[in-house]
Amino acid sequence: MNIVGVDIGGTFTDLVGYVGGHIVTSKTSTVPADPTKGIATSLDLAGCETGSVDELLHGSTIAINTVLERKGARTALLTTTGFRDVYAIGRSNRIEAFNLFFERPEPLMPRDLTFEVRERILATGEVLEPLDEKTLDEAVAWVDGMGVEAVAVCLLHAYVNPEHERRIGAALRQRRPDLFITLSHEILREYREYERTSTTVLNAFVGPRVGGYLRRLDGYLRDASFGGKVHIMRSNGGVMSLRLAQEQPVSMMESGPVAGMIGAGRLSKLLGLERCVGFDMGGTTAKSSLLTGGAPVIETGYVIGDKATGQPMQLPVVDIVEVGAGGGSIAWVDKTGGLHVGPKSVGADPGPACYGKGSADPVVTDADLLLGRINPRRFLNGGMALDVEAARRAMQEKVAGPLALSVPQAAHGVVRIADAAMSLSVRAVSVNKGVDPRDTAMIAFGGAGPLHAISIAREIFIPTVVIPKLPGTFSALGMLMASWRQDFVQTLIGRVGDLQASHAEEVFAELAAAGRDQLTRDGIDPATADFRYYADLRYVGQEHAISIPVESAALLTGEARTVRDRFDREHDKRYGQSAPSETMEVVSLRLVLTAARSDSLAEQWLSQPWTPDSDAGTEHRDVVFDDPERPVKTQILWRNALKAGARIVGPAVIEEPNSTILIHPDDEVRVTDAGHLVVTLKY
Amino acid sequence: MTKATTDPITIEVVRNAVVAYADEMADVLSKSAYNMMIYEVRDYCCGLIDTEGRMISQNRGGLPIFLADLGVAVEDGIKRYGLDGFAEGDVLVMNHGHICGQHLNNVVVYAPCFHDGELIGFAANRAHWVDIGGGRQGFGSNATTDIYSEGLQMRSLKIYDAGKANETLLQIIRDNIRYPDASLGDLRAQIASCQVGARRFGELVGRYSRATVDECVATIWAQADRQVRSVIEKIPDGTYSATSFLDNDGRALDKPLRIKVTVTVAGARMSVDFSEMNPQVDGPLNSGRSGGIAAARVAFKALTSPNLDVNEGCFRSLDVVLPEGTMLSARPPAALGQWSIALPTVIDTILKALAPAVPEMIPAAHKGDMGGCSFFGFYGDGSRFLLMNIFGGGWGGRPHGDGASASVSVCQGDVRNTPVELQEIKYPFVIERHMLRPDSGGAGRYRGGLGVELTYRVLRACKGNINFDRTVTPPWGLDGGKEGAVSLAIIERADGRTENVNKATNVAFEPGDRVTFLTAGGGGYGDPRERDHGLLQSDIEKGLVSTEAARRDYGFAAKGESQPAMRMAANS
Repeated sequence: MNIVGVDIGGTFTDLVGYVGGHIVTSKTSTVPADPTKGIATSLDLAGCETGSVDELLHGSTIAINTVLERKGARTALLTTTGFRDVYAIGRSNRIEAFNLFFERPEPLMPRDLTFEVRERILATGEVLEPLDEKTLDEAVAWVDGMGVEAVAVCLLHAYVNPEHERRIGAALRQRRPDLFITLSHEILREYREYERTSTTVLNAFVGPRVGGYLRRLDGYLRDASFGGKVHIMRSNGGVMSLRLAQEQPVSMMESGPVAGMIGAGRLSKLLGLERCVGFDMGGTTAKSSLLTGGAPVIETGYVIGDKATGQPMQLPVVDIVEVGAGGGSIAWVDKTGGLHVGPKSVGADPGPACYGKGSADPVVTDADLLLGRINPRRFLNGGMALDVEAARRAMQEKVAGPLALSVPQAAHGVVRIADAAMSLSVRAVSVNKGVDPRDTAMIAFGGAGPLHAISIAREIFIPTVVIPKLPGTFSALGMLMASWRQDFVQTLIGRVGDLQASHAEEVFAELAAAGRDQLTRDGIDPATADFRYYADLRYVGQEHAISIPVESAALLTGEARTVRDRFDREHDKRYGQSAPSETMEVVSLRLVLTAARSDSLAEQWLSQPWTPDSDAGTEHRDVVFDDPERPVKTQILWRNALKAGARIVGPAVIEEPNSTILIHPDDEVRVTDAGHLVVTLKY
Repeated sequence: MTKATTDPITIEVVRNAVVAYADEMADVLSKSAYNMMIYEVRDYCCGLIDTEGRMISQNRGGLPIFLADLGVAVEDGIKRYGLDGFAEGDVLVMNHGHICGQHLNNVVVYAPCFHDGELIGFAANRAHWVDIGGGRQGFGSNATTDIYSEGLQMRSLKIYDAGKANETLLQIIRDNIRYPDASLGDLRAQIASCQVGARRFGELVGRYSRATVDECVATIWAQADRQVRSVIEKIPDGTYSATSFLDNDGRALDKPLRIKVTVTVAGARMSVDFSEMNPQVDGPLNSGRSGGIAAARVAFKALTSPNLDVNEGCFRSLDVVLPEGTMLSARPPAALGQWSIALPTVIDTILKALAPAVPEMIPAAHKGDMGGCSFFGFYGDGSRFLLMNIFGGGWGGRPHGDGASASVSVCQGDVRNTPVELQEIKYPFVIERHMLRPDSGGAGRYRGGLGVELTYRVLRACKGNINFDRTVTPPWGLDGGKEGAVSLAIIERADGRTENVNKATNVAFEPGDRVTFLTAGGGGYGDPRERDHGLLQSDIEKGLVSTEAARRDYGFAAKGESQPAMRMAANS
């Protein structure tokens, strides 16, 4: 079986495949105008015969970029009478509290593309005002006349009774089968009308463009005699069929970043690490996620774009904390003499000053180069020579000069500030969740991750850092391990203990039926799937709920002792207190439906014995660690020449085709039998 | 004591860390809180305070009027117990009216932070309890005339003494407030939040030494002050003043309240003088000194350092002149229940005073009130309900663009409205509409933002408070822009009677009654006749400005009856 994962990011298109019994990989520049071209090139570079590939897994930034660039479809919105402006009013908050010129999120479609439908359903699901045929006809006729490509329908309380949305959807689909139609209850069955409307509109807005892209991708693959399956990476850490991706493109917003965390989770399991932090550092951002028992946490709710002015999306997403610090983050000095790194970054073009493409802004990669940490001749496997002098000039002019520091001092400061910022993202997913970093390990990847990981880990006392095989294209590798996954949620409100058993069972049954239906449509045997149910619980009076596993409706009725204990424990863990004597209530039920991959090729490769394929010798270079004025003579090793079982004591720099690993003095590296590097930090 | 070792990099690490800790405190508080004023409205703040009562850091996204004023509460405790009177495991509660200057619902909880046995500071938060006993329910009540009728006061009391709970105090609280389960739940959340902050700050000092952290903090304050001064220096020196009026104190309805401010800019300092402010009133529309200081600070920060994290340094170059006995510096035993109501207008008035000096920095007036409602009553089983919601309104037109619509006041920041679906799930009401209020934005070259319309239909007999203001001085325009529409509540009784109301406390409602809240629009900026016709046509097509208003206020005849406008009219 041949499988290939392709991750299209802003700068690079990464590929990792398991083809003909071997792992293959490639990295090539993304072609924004025609991403399928990037896929073709990366397949070529990796030596993959498209026709021989049985399954292609794909992650892409197309959905999120369509929103960030506001280049989606002309979209109409149908709402309940009286609620035309729910989407524009939002939550009325002003996140930048002191900004007198603050703008709240701008709707993705204008007010005059909204139509109010006369109908009303109550919170209980009862119909207060029925949807009559005449109203339905008017709504359909209005949509027909507005010249739109997509329609979002979000009616009040449709999460509890979707009947009116269904009828509108059916009538629209019959009259205009060419339109992309999203009904709120089809993607989200939770209360909060603004967030549900926003999620529904996001889906409709990106639908036509993402659909077109996926059709072109499919067409290209079929033309290249590809006969396998295509799976699309989604924000919840699973994959979905091409068909489902076309219906629910909103769920592929974080398609790229999550795959690396899935891969890191699997690796942590293989290494027997109960808790660790996945750390992924790329060109513009660094991402962290807490991995427990081999998997990241999945949260509900997320903002697409800037936190203050972005579009809320209320679907499950891998809990990743992102900070604006990466290899390309620009270092700058403000008017008062404060030194900052990011959040602006140079991107691929012109890139860092050391790329020699004329940029005069020093970035983190320039600082790494000036400190001797990166090899100017081996960057991107020797594919790009770096200009040390250009980096020095930029650092001198923009940082060292204004702060009256030497260039090495300035470069060292830039790296320390970037590391401190990134350590806050690591802290946010560990310390801030009540996890003591001393009980964790870090798994570091992404092009720049292995270079910075160890000093970041040291900031918060993480004792061990693991650098996996293929750290530079690890996200694409992660795709090869992702399960098929679909999340379902249904509002169910009631006090635990008073809940009617029949009602709870009914909701469980509805979720199960929806799950089986989705499996069948994607050609998966329900018997092979894993159905896991969760109840969102809270103490009566609280608003924020915590998802707690429940195996059956019975656990929520009667005394519910098991669930009670689980909830109290989790509450105490998260918030430092619990109230075991208080009444508990349920808010919604969730079903997480997964179907594991039939193969485990990529996982097997992760534990496959390592054999060096090169015998490059050791070189030496001066590298700055703690004291910018006193560089340390450091051994430079080629990773592909290291033997399993080898032990190296820092200082050392370990170089490989798409990444560089910096080992600080006295830290100890062990090459595992499978070829991963385990670094034990010396405190 | 170890010597301080600071460098630009350590300073940056400390700068990020102290704010991240305050944010973490806020996360613990809001996620485990029991009342919507905390989890939805975010009526709280969290921060780290030094041993002199100064603000080291404050969380991002809390209520703007809680600006560096946790220190006053902590200082009171320091005076009472002395710096050596705190032990690890102490937690204190504080809401004393005269010291804190705010309504008693705002309860401060704080805990000392130690490192190696040495007191290094305090972690503190303030959160709005849903009830604190006394004669008021929800917000918006104008019925009280002294602090004693407004509930329970607790002045720097140790609710935990070296880790041991003070059961007597807990019992007093439980027996004197209306929603003890909710408030004691909130108290638990506040305590856990302080413990997190105290632990983190201790770790930071352990890592870098107290001398280093202190020096970093001093440098961060100095840097903030330097930025602030560089902005003030660009404002032409001079004395600027402005006056506006609140409608009344909710009791003597024919007596407007004067808001007069005088701002003096001299070099790199600014002073805000409230000497001519209306004297304190009999009702609860008063604040203590902290109200006046908060208003001056919000306006000052918006002008001089809107992007900086809040700390003591942001306000070093601000002087506030505030004699005792005004409605922003009331003497005890003044009632303080509506302490924040005047503040948006005070802030608007400070900005208006400065508009001639820095026209580029000042928008026209915004809706100018805190915009909320509360309904309270009993369910069939005798349990209480209390619905509270906050509304957005229009912001003023700007020197280069239209004002924002449906946004909370300048005092509220990240405060959010309550979802309609959530209100209907929890409370016995049907909300019939929640939409923008057409024609409410003041006309101008740049139009004021729109207010909102929200209609509640009552399903179960209950009472409610209505509290709208600023009809005497509507949201004003600037540079020739027109006023925004004023706010109003319309009560339609089940039998067809209607009445317009601005302020009313404990109004009785019966099933079938409706209340519609119309919030104010922002003032316009610049001459309406100069508005771009494309923009105006688009406003008309989107239904934000009617064709009549376009003709009347802008002298503009719309191009035919555009299709969308017609459909919208037929449809609404």
